[in-house]
Amino acid sequence: METISVTWVLADGSRQSAEVVTGGTLMQAALDNGIDGIVGQCGGSLACATCHVIVENAPASLPEIAPDEDDMLDMAEPERTSTSRLSCQLVAVPELDGILLRVP
Amino acid sequence: MSNAPAYEIDPKAFWKDPYPDLERMRVGAPIAYVPQLAATLLTRRDDIFENEKKIEIFSSDQPQGLMTVLMGQNLMRKDGAAHMAERKAIFPSVSPKTVKAVWKAAFEKQTGKALEELRPLGAADMVKDIAKRISGEALKSITGLTNMSWQEMDRVSQGMIDGCANYAGDRDVEARCHDCTASIDRHIDEMLPLLRKTPDSSMLSVQIQAGMPEASARANIKLAISGGQNEPRDVIAGLVWTLLTHPEQLSLIRTGGATWLQAFEEYARWISPIGMSPRRVAQAYTLKGVTFEPEDRVFLMFGSGNRDESVFDAPEKFDITRDTSASIAFGAGPHFCAGAWASRCLIAEVALPMIFERLPDLSLAGDVPFGGWAFRGPLEMPVKWKKRSG
Repeated sequence: METISVTWVLADGSRQSAEVVTGGTLMQAALDNGIDGIVGQCGGSLACATCHVIVENAPASLPEIAPDEDDMLDMAEPERTSTSRLSCQLVAVPELDGILLRVP
Repeated sequence: MSNAPAYEIDPKAFWKDPYPDLERMRVGAPIAYVPQLAATLLTRRDDIFENEKKIEIFSSDQPQGLMTVLMGQNLMRKDGAAHMAERKAIFPSVSPKTVKAVWKAAFEKQTGKALEELRPLGAADMVKDIAKRISGEALKSITGLTNMSWQEMDRVSQGMIDGCANYAGDRDVEARCHDCTASIDRHIDEMLPLLRKTPDSSMLSVQIQAGMPEASARANIKLAISGGQNEPRDVIAGLVWTLLTHPEQLSLIRTGGATWLQAFEEYARWISPIGMSPRRVAQAYTLKGVTFEPEDRVFLMFGSGNRDESVFDAPEKFDITRDTSASIAFGAGPHFCAGAWASRCLIAEVALPMIFERLPDLSLAGDVPFGGWAFRGPLEMPVKWKKRSG
């Protein structure tokens, strides 16, 4: 099973890294690794905006923000930034090995 | 049926106040079989949160369920790709953007009109005269059934809810439910040609625009009505009662120390308007020593999970300053309430601030009984206010 390294910068500034199996979403990876601040309430159905992350550093370009994700991001807490994403829409692919996400 | 430990309830007492029984279940038998409900209940927050997402085991597809039989198969009774496709189709009618750009102004206008008409009376029933109307008017806009009166909206909603809970098979209840769905279909028949000619952001219109089969579109409108009328009604009235009986928290909002939205989220946790969501076990499964068999009926007890003492400190206390992010009032999986953003706007941005602003010196004028465990809210609520300001 292929894995990639994902690092989250938590609200208190500390970092948490995990080896994440490719194919799943980064929201699921956060839940599996108990990342504080990622709730993932709706399980990835683009209904809640509780898996909001700010992409600090992506080793490859990320998929475009779809209109539905864009709409939900407007509701994210705290307010979205230019690199905000809903992590339920980001799939762990090999190109993203080493991605750095901040939990707002 | 599952081999979960049995927990007996007195259905009448449970309806009046389910919280003591639910607390005993959480502590002693968090996964319990309740013979009076012929269902296995999940009562802990984390068990619900984790398992609601396992749709291959705890399925929403319940072809024999009363809701599907009486109202048609709506998206809440579908799973996986079929559910997501319809959800995507209705999204433009309830998305945060549409709520902000389209519905908020309508909510303000309707609520303002209702309060203006009631204000000279100096007294009313918060549930029946105010919350019911605000909720019904909002739902007319969102569904697209603007040809229906708010009173009829409430009647057909309640009729369907009663029909879906008619496990005893009472014929009168069933007949009333059929009458309500027929009324909705007549209103849809009348609106369809108009909306085909002039599309808008309503749920009926966006479904037609997306090319959804008419039977599905009709079933989803019925779902929106059965789930979109009594919950906002119950939260509007329930939250007014709560703030009147917790004046220190009301003044915290008025002095800017907390927000209406915080009050809304905390109320939805504290007295969840939807206390339960049913599932059908699709395949054998073992959870924490309890074995579920296919076709078992499972109730996800949101109202109990939201009072889970291992997740919330002093869960029985209403505290608008608490962190409610673990609340599962809107569900905790792919069936997360599609109307969440509309309800937040209607209640926290429009109804509550306007009620307290336009009805000066609002106070209670009698007893406020609450009822229900699957759906819970105040049954009646006499209130009075000062007729004129100054």
